[in-house]
Amino acid sequence: MKYSIFFLAFVIVLGACSKDPLNQEPISQISETQFYNSTEELEWATIAIYDGLQDVPLREFAITEMRSDNARSNSGEGDWGQFDSWTVRPTNQQVGTYWTVNYNVIFRANRVLENLDAVDVPSLKLQFEGEAKFCRALSHFNLVRAYGDIPILDREIERDESEFFERDPVAEVMAFITQDLEEAAMLLPAKGALVFGRATSEAANALLAKVYLNTGNYSGAESILASLIANPNYALEENYRDVFYSEGNDEIIFAIPYINDDGNESQDFSFEMTAGGVRSGLNYLTDDFIANLIPNDAERLPVLQNSDNLEENGKFMTTSSDVRLCGNDWIVLRLADVYLLHIEAIMAGQLATQNLDAIASFNAIRGRVGLDSVAMDGTGEITLDMLLNERRYELAFENHRLYDLIRTGQAQTVLTNFGNNEGYLFSSTDLLLPIPQGEINVSGGLLSQNPGY
Amino acid sequence: MAVLMLLTCHVQAQEPTPAQAKNITISGVVKGDDGVTIPGINIVVQGTSIGTSTDMDGKYSLSVPPNATLEISGIGFKTQLVVVENRTKIDITLSEDVETLEEHVVVGYGTVKKSHFTGAVSKVQAENLDQMPHSRVDDALVGQMSGVTVQQTNPAAGEAPVMRVRGQGSISFDSNPLIVLDGIVVGNDGDFLSSLDMNDVESIEVLKDASSGAIYGSRGANGIIMITTKKGVEGPTKFSYHGYLGYKDVPKNDYLSSPDEWSNFVRENNGGELTDRLNYINQLGTYTDWEDVMFDGGFITSHSLSAKGGTKNTKFTTSFGYQRDEGVLLTDNFEKINFRVNMNTKLRNRVTLGLNLNPSHTNQRRFPIGVHDAIRQNPWLPLYLDETNIQYVNRFRENGRWADAQIGDYAMERMFDDYDLLLGQPDPNLSGVDISSTSNQNALAKVLERDRRKRQTKVYANTYLKFDIMDGLYFKQTFGGDFRYTSNTRWAGVEASRNGIGDTESTLSTQIRWHTVNESILNYKKKFGDHSLNAIGVFAYEWWSREQTGLEAAGFDNDLIQTIPQANLVNGFREEYRENLISYVARATYDYKERYLLSASIRRDGSSKFGLDSKYGWFPAVSGGWIVNKENFFPENNILTRLKVRASYGVTGNNSGINEYEHYGLLVPVGTGFGQNGYNPFNVASPNLGWESLTEFNPGLDMAFLGGRVNLFFDYYVRNSVDLLLDVPIPSVVGFDEALENRGKVRNEGVEFELSTKNYITKDFSWTSTATATHNKNTLVDFAGADGLISIVDDKRPAEWIAKEGQPISSFYGYVVDKEIPLEYINNPYYPINAQSQDIYVRDLNGDGVIDPDDRTILGDPYPDLVWSVTNNFKYRNFDASFMVQGSHGAEVRNISSQYIKNEFSSNQDYTTEFADANLVTERIFTNDDIQDASYVALRNINVGYSFSKKAMQKAGIQRLRLYVSATNLIYVWSDDYEGYNPEGIDQGLRNPLTYGYQRGPAPIYRAYTFGLNLDF
Repeated sequence: MKYSIFFLAFVIVLGACSKDPLNQEPISQISETQFYNSTEELEWATIAIYDGLQDVPLREFAITEMRSDNARSNSGEGDWGQFDSWTVRPTNQQVGTYWTVNYNVIFRANRVLENLDAVDVPSLKLQFEGEAKFCRALSHFNLVRAYGDIPILDREIERDESEFFERDPVAEVMAFITQDLEEAAMLLPAKGALVFGRATSEAANALLAKVYLNTGNYSGAESILASLIANPNYALEENYRDVFYSEGNDEIIFAIPYINDDGNESQDFSFEMTAGGVRSGLNYLTDDFIANLIPNDAERLPVLQNSDNLEENGKFMTTSSDVRLCGNDWIVLRLADVYLLHIEAIMAGQLATQNLDAIASFNAIRGRVGLDSVAMDGTGEITLDMLLNERRYELAFENHRLYDLIRTGQAQTVLTNFGNNEGYLFSSTDLLLPIPQGEINVSGGLLSQNPGY
Repeated sequence: MAVLMLLTCHVQAQEPTPAQAKNITISGVVKGDDGVTIPGINIVVQGTSIGTSTDMDGKYSLSVPPNATLEISGIGFKTQLVVVENRTKIDITLSEDVETLEEHVVVGYGTVKKSHFTGAVSKVQAENLDQMPHSRVDDALVGQMSGVTVQQTNPAAGEAPVMRVRGQGSISFDSNPLIVLDGIVVGNDGDFLSSLDMNDVESIEVLKDASSGAIYGSRGANGIIMITTKKGVEGPTKFSYHGYLGYKDVPKNDYLSSPDEWSNFVRENNGGELTDRLNYINQLGTYTDWEDVMFDGGFITSHSLSAKGGTKNTKFTTSFGYQRDEGVLLTDNFEKINFRVNMNTKLRNRVTLGLNLNPSHTNQRRFPIGVHDAIRQNPWLPLYLDETNIQYVNRFRENGRWADAQIGDYAMERMFDDYDLLLGQPDPNLSGVDISSTSNQNALAKVLERDRRKRQTKVYANTYLKFDIMDGLYFKQTFGGDFRYTSNTRWAGVEASRNGIGDTESTLSTQIRWHTVNESILNYKKKFGDHSLNAIGVFAYEWWSREQTGLEAAGFDNDLIQTIPQANLVNGFREEYRENLISYVARATYDYKERYLLSASIRRDGSSKFGLDSKYGWFPAVSGGWIVNKENFFPENNILTRLKVRASYGVTGNNSGINEYEHYGLLVPVGTGFGQNGYNPFNVASPNLGWESLTEFNPGLDMAFLGGRVNLFFDYYVRNSVDLLLDVPIPSVVGFDEALENRGKVRNEGVEFELSTKNYITKDFSWTSTATATHNKNTLVDFAGADGLISIVDDKRPAEWIAKEGQPISSFYGYVVDKEIPLEYINNPYYPINAQSQDIYVRDLNGDGVIDPDDRTILGDPYPDLVWSVTNNFKYRNFDASFMVQGSHGAEVRNISSQYIKNEFSSNQDYTTEFADANLVTERIFTNDDIQDASYVALRNINVGYSFSKKAMQKAGIQRLRLYVSATNLIYVWSDDYEGYNPEGIDQGLRNPLTYGYQRGPAPIYRAYTFGLNLDF
């Protein structure tokens, strides 16, 4: 009997002597209470923001290009067909995903801003702040252009802080974005200080100029854009093709990089834009786009169209072995866009301009691809139509068209016309996406829907 | 030691005083009513502890006083008293205890007589279970126990069925019952049941209510399956062989049309005319019955050899089993090898050592696509190009993609498009007749050019040391565990999909899992006169460690190497997780005069999965019973011979389905496209995450009529699951779209009946029956602010489910069908074959003249209202036969397969521009057109056997030889409403009880016929 008691005691002691075994720390992940404590960790958190950005362009083309007169889905079916014909439902999965991925980027940026005090190198502290604010502004800008009034998230929030679930008016959102970008432009280093893919002060300025154009601050935009054009760090590529196929070239102001054949760092929008993609392919050229191609646009045409299938665009064709793991980078801002925005800023809301600086910018774009220029002798004029058309084909499939039409007030006319030809009914409420139904459901009634949905 | 001495002295004091006559040696044989000798019968001199038991041949020998009275007893037999009267040869015939077979049930940490058990338990005796041609133990449990539903959700070779005890409790995660093997907790995942050999199983019990489950408190919220394996018996070694060979096939189902049948249908509706497309199809002339191609049937074989024996002190059993199931689908199969050793031995007088070791290996090849994906291919598509059909291949299409098509290539639908019917040749201008409805690769290629495997090697082991400290008190220390290595591989070759080389892949994911459990048990059992007490205290420590590795390779341009070469690697990772559980348990069971029964237990569990302050949970339970027929006031009668009233109340817990560290806000490494890496928050922290718990009240009635000829068990239960572990959707502005919380309340309420009768028992012929019936009602009581949450499974086919308070956890939600759109308004009403229009008229339920989301309603739910089974057993001389009929009623299923098979989701099936009622129709997928009745009645199994007479066999040294034939699902009847191959099918890949009941191409219900033999020697 005494043996058994001994044994029992032994076992009980054995069980009790491990130091609080119920506290298992994760092995292959890190708990957030153990992180954000050093400069190095904050750098890692900042880099994580860029990882979040990689999700944004994946189907952005569907909610921008396919809703414009540039592109369409191949089959017209399902969620994708809704974008073609402006019959987008609030339950459309892409509408919900775009909302979520952008707010996730904002969350990552806010997380960094919350924890900046852990950084003990002052220059890095300012740099991280700049990078976070740039990305936060970019995502808010994506959201406000797509959905209209949206909640502004200027800090990290808890699940129950419901005052943040309500939508803020567009003007306030634009003001917030402007402030973030103005600060970022001063905090960020110039091009070349950081690896390609991270924010620069020039990127912040380029984006700021775009925001100014959206809010009617034409003079502010013009001065930024002029200095960017004059910036020796950037230059238009000699060949149009190289802009897209020579990665990291000097025309690119900000891009989201990807890697070929990598399970984590590849994109698949290149694949979706081919016949193998979902519903037999997305982002196909519309008949209208093909019909209105600029005549003799010999250098751009082979890049705009996939020579193997003239209905597909040729800007993002993959070179990877696995067709679904593509490495083509996504260009957010490039110098050609800056040139054309420059003209728009000078035009300042008018329908035409004869300003020589504007004409010079226009000719730079035309000249690069060997198209004829506009006269610089005082007779030349650039109309809004010319500008929009040039933007349409220079920046085709880079997710600018829809917002260009909206920003310049031409959306209603152009899209109604386009819709008539295609048999789609366009109404002004179609310029904004519906707020995702799922988000409205969980907001407890605080998030309201856009008109027309 | 001193105590030992005392006891032996005590024994010796019982010997007769020297004044009496000397002891004599008696011997004899104990037989039953049927003349068969019975081993293991106790023969004890009454009032003493002088005794022995009969050996394997029923023989005994004992030294006793000449006028002693012997008490002869055994489980299942009526105790007999025999006076020695100076005889030396005493043969005894025992008769069966008809009243109750004194069944013992295995409950947590011990066994208890079923008659004295106050909880709800169902027991299956594994007598015929091992003869059913199933490769998994859980498949054989269909219909065997009330309250336990086993659903064949995907009966491909080796795939797990879904097992539920008393309904779906957990809202978010698996409601799988806990599995306990020989007293050692194995876990909630059904994985274990795939490698267990049914031949090794002695009995299976299911603890259904919270009070019996409370002893396994944590993780016992969804019922507990107690599996007891066969053990050794004293006597000469007895060998056993059991083998069977069977064939499985799928009954023909004609709900899809052939080109001929479709042509007839079109002629009838189109004024005798065929369309161009059908003319071309008829000219092509092929008919591939995809059912025949994909459901190719298969053989199932099983061999099991075991040896069992022992001496007085050591008993052992060992077995070896092999099973191979070729599966009814084209490339599914399952192979299993099992080895087992079980031993227990008396080390010293009071110390026993037990050991159980069970390594096994399984190899499963899985069917690589959904069955619907295979069946939906057009019936005119040939499998391969041959001399007759190669002329139809259009070599100009898709930039000459098939310019080099040859005989022997797989045929793809698009190859046959653009055929010029007038000229009788493929049209180089690409403006001929198109008959393809998909750009997909040939379904046969999708299956044959892919390989998906799951290989597992497992070792289960446990050992125990038991110390009999003193009379009624023992201490037992067990140490058990399991090791599992699982390897999942997936390969797709160059011809596996329409994208050819672009979609080739080879992936591997492995998991190594260690699990150990340490238990210290102290048990005290004592009878004080009329009082009987059993108290137990347990301390348990359980630990898991798992290591997960994945490798992914892509970009192969040939099929030469199918493993993972470094050059093709695109992704890889390795992760580790740990978990543990600490438990303290105490239970006391008391009965007075074997008439008043009471049991109470309390358990405290701590799990590392929960937040800092919420790791522990308390799980108490109490149950009581009253055996009314033993009361003096109970009239002595022959009708109601036994009446027991019982009730139980208990709390159990659940922590399964969430990962080990989810209460933390976790950061994971992330990369970028510019070569720098970072760390990113992966989930929202849930620091207060705690136990999900279930509270249950279960009154019941056990009755026996006519001296035990009829036994009836009745249970009513109400179980409330609260603090459910739930992924709650949250506004994305927080940064995530969901967070893990304890929220919500689900109630399951129901009744269970179990009736067993001995209809006719004579020496030559006997007939017994059992019937079970279960009714369960599932209600979402509280969803904590997410009432009315609408969920979808698939963004491409977004049919809706709703979680509404007052309704079951998940109900189908959508519009109600009004009528079909006339064929004249459908774009291509006769194309493709079997097509149905995409849209359908729906009812304006709120009468506002508009069809909008307000016209949606609840369309049904996937939970059955009644599940029943009836089993009959017959015995006539050397023949025995049994059959079971089982049915389920009231469940519906959302059969999405028809969306694919009838090509509804294609713009080809849209309505025309002349159709004026576009605002009165909606897509079929959102209506009750796809909600089909999943009720069925089936002759689940029938088994007829012949046992050769013992005398004839004994000359050859054989103890028993029995041959049998059996059939499974011989008759299986489902509702006319259901269109498919398996009304029980549920897509398990989704694991979300909020969208339960989604059926998308499950494996079909199969019929199996087997021939087998049992040989004991």
